[in-house]
Amino acid sequence: MRLPLFAFGLLLATQVFAATPEETVAKAMATLAPNVKVDAVQESVIPGFYEAIAGGQFIYVSKDGRYVIDGSAYDVANKHDLTAGSRAKARKIALEKVGPEKRIVFAPQAPVASKHTVTVFTDVDCPFCRRFHEQIAQYNAKGITVDYLFYPLSIHPGADKKAEAVWCSKDRANAFTAAMSGADPGSATCPNPVPELTKLAQSLGINGTPTILAPDGTQIPPQIATSPDQLAAELDRLAAASAAKN
Amino acid sequence: MPYRQYVTRPSGMALGAGFGKAVNVRAALAFALVSGLALSTAQAAEPAADAAARKALQELVPQAKIDKVEQAPLPGYRQVIVGGQLVYVSDDGKYLLQGSLYDTQAKRDLTAARLAVASKEKVDAVSRDKRIVFAPSGKSKYAVTVFTDLDCGYCRKLHSQIAEYNKLGIEVDYLFFPRSGIGTPSYDKAVSVWCAKDRNAAFTAAKAGKDPAPLKCDNPVAEQFTLGTQVGVEGTPTILAPDGTKLGGYLPPDQLLTRLKTLGAPNFAGN
Repeated sequence: MRLPLFAFGLLLATQVFAATPEETVAKAMATLAPNVKVDAVQESVIPGFYEAIAGGQFIYVSKDGRYVIDGSAYDVANKHDLTAGSRAKARKIALEKVGPEKRIVFAPQAPVASKHTVTVFTDVDCPFCRRFHEQIAQYNAKGITVDYLFYPLSIHPGADKKAEAVWCSKDRANAFTAAMSGADPGSATCPNPVPELTKLAQSLGINGTPTILAPDGTQIPPQIATSPDQLAAELDRLAAASAAKN
Repeated sequence: MPYRQYVTRPSGMALGAGFGKAVNVRAALAFALVSGLALSTAQAAEPAADAAARKALQELVPQAKIDKVEQAPLPGYRQVIVGGQLVYVSDDGKYLLQGSLYDTQAKRDLTAARLAVASKEKVDAVSRDKRIVFAPSGKSKYAVTVFTDLDCGYCRKLHSQIAEYNKLGIEVDYLFFPRSGIGTPSYDKAVSVWCAKDRNAAFTAAKAGKDPAPLKCDNPVAEQFTLGTQVGVEGTPTILAPDGTKLGGYLPPDQLLTRLKTLGAPNFAGN
């Protein structure tokens, strides 16, 4: 009976020293990049790995804490990008916490009903953001509500001040449209959500504008999003796909 | 701050227009995922895990040309070298991971390290008489291999400073990588330079914007272009260190020297 007891003792010992998933990931990242904050850790379908969000990026950390993979994981049989799926889910959850009072909303006008809502991280001084907004009437006409969140990029000096000035205007939507067509929004200041939204975007691994997210959190490629027809079709497709899943 | 900036990895090159036959695995994966392409043949006479890895890759990226399948440093995974990139496949073939694999104990980017070795093997096989060499008059401290295109702006900028690189003890060995592909005007220019009597002079003249007199002869330009696609060249210039590490695109002479000096040293915090 000695052997089983000995084995039992070993088991106990490993349990005593076993780190939680959070500790394992935190320790691994501390050796690679001490300044990076680990935001979330969960079990992964990838055998032997945890899935974690660190500094806004998805990473995979081996359960023994030795290896970190910064990249994407694919389910071969289902031809599914697992990382993109996880990223979309995390973004959806985070965006649901951003209330309408922090967004600039362009909704379809009656009789057109809103069928879909996209969330767009935008920057007044980003040329592609401007091009997107030029077509706002067409998106609305297709039944797409566009919710803008400000995300002034640091590569556009002064864009954060412009965002704040737009936010603090009396008629926010009009000021936004004017600024998007190149008008100087002035320099009004007031309490505003721009810094908070900027932080949110960074924590979600969003590093460019415009970033267009479907209701399920999926990031829509700009080449699709810049065409109102194609965007409407893609949103229909995504809605059907998530309805089929539920 | 993304932690990416703390770890050694090849700096990314923007994809230029038209890359001949280079297969970008990431793009191809994204494509395969939406289009659902058919799988092709499996291989025989290999460990089951190797076969599973091949099959997984062929299923996701049927057009990919697999260079090598081997045991990954990661237990339970194979690693596949394909088109100058590295992917990891679980031994059962169910999951594929693409990205950089870091070893937290050794503080190393194992993906970049393995790819560097693979690139070095291939690039070292190119003999000196097939390169266009600009060497220091004194002793070379470092020899870098640069994939170049006569019509690329940063390639020209790099070559305009060739005397400075040489002065710092850096030898520059050029291989041709006409981005627009074999048979295009940039390719023809490269052939003409190769076939010129004074190759180095013709090269320098072409880099300064002077079109070379059209010439034809036996030449290694197509071979070098293919080599570039195999070692993951995605744009020009692409600088490879003596150990095969991809240093990325254009670097000014002093910065290149610094990179070469610090190669191999763990390149973490603060860099």
